[in-house]
Amino acid sequence: MIEINATMVAQVVNFLILAAILRALAYKPVAKMLKQRSDKIQDAINKADADKKAAEETLSQYKSQLADAQKRAQEIVDKAEITARQEREALVAETKKEIERLKQNAQVEIQNERNRAFEQMQKEIVTLSLAAAEKVVAKNLTSKENDKLVSDFIAGLNEDMFNGVK
Amino acid sequence: MEHIGVRETVQFMGLTFNIETLEMTWLAMGITIVISCLAVRSLKVIPSGWQNFLEIIVEWLHKQIEGMMGKRGMFLAPFIVSLFLFLLTSNLLGLIPFFVSPTNDLNTTLGLALLVVCMVHFFGLYFKRGHYIAHFFQPIAPFVIINAIEEIAKPITLAFRLFGNILAGEILIIVLLHLTENPFWLSLPSVAWLGFSIFISCVHAVIFTMLSMAYLGNAVKE
Repeated sequence: MIEINATMVAQVVNFLILAAILRALAYKPVAKMLKQRSDKIQDAINKADADKKAAEETLSQYKSQLADAQKRAQEIVDKAEITARQEREALVAETKKEIERLKQNAQVEIQNERNRAFEQMQKEIVTLSLAAAEKVVAKNLTSKENDKLVSDFIAGLNEDMFNGVK
Repeated sequence: MEHIGVRETVQFMGLTFNIETLEMTWLAMGITIVISCLAVRSLKVIPSGWQNFLEIIVEWLHKQIEGMMGKRGMFLAPFIVSLFLFLLTSNLLGLIPFFVSPTNDLNTTLGLALLVVCMVHFFGLYFKRGHYIAHFFQPIAPFVIINAIEEIAKPITLAFRLFGNILAGEILIIVLLHLTENPFWLSLPSVAWLGFSIFISCVHAVIFTMLSMAYLGNAVKE
């Protein structure tokens, strides 16, 4: 049962042949494939890391841009508000001035109108008085009472009528 | 039953060969090569079928080699992978009816064990030169006797362990079939033993490969 013979050498040779065949046929391609796979996985991991980093950078960039835009928008709004307020104030001031001016004009106008009306009235009163006087004179030119009447009338006109006007 | 242990021999150039062992070895080699061909026929990044099988073995052995022999041992990976695949196929071959394991012949196991031990000494001298010889005389010079016995024991234990387990397994398969005529009591232990033999075949392929790696590791590791 236990007998050592030349089979031993033959088996060693057989095995060495098998090892050589398997090395070329199976081991090398499989080892290459394993290496390729681990390289590929490593590449994928590296790429994923790089992508993540790039994405984070883009995100932070976007965030800062967004913040910037918001800040600028706020500035524009603030500026617009200030301008609007200033314009409104200027407008109000101008309007007030205009109103004041119109009021003054109106007062002047009113004064002028009054003066004119007074002058007109004075003239008419004088004319009327003269007409009345004419009639009285024409009727009773010689009568002394009439002279006195006219004088009183005129004196009364001077005191009563012009008191309220002046 | 009489044929157990009786080797059919042929004479070639004045040398004696166990022809059945050689035939079974060639068959095992053929099966190993066919499986390898199937595995590498269309290598894909995402493996399937036999590629998975071979990749699992190669990756597992790579890890073991790196652990036991360090980075410098990687050049022995093709040898280790071939050894494991050959032993696995050989051990399992004997479980198929009408076939025998090449490893049930001491010539095979001792041949492989001596090959491993020769490689150990060769690479030991190649990589460590004087230190390799010096380590046989440590811790003190007289220890060279114990170390020598150990070195001689290495191939013998390696060879006989595998040979004994595989041969015993095959003998028991035959013995169990001759124990009784009752078909129930005939099949039950035989099936159980066959299942156990598959386990034993795998385990001894692993043990032989692992011990070879450990011995080679001593010589190769930095």
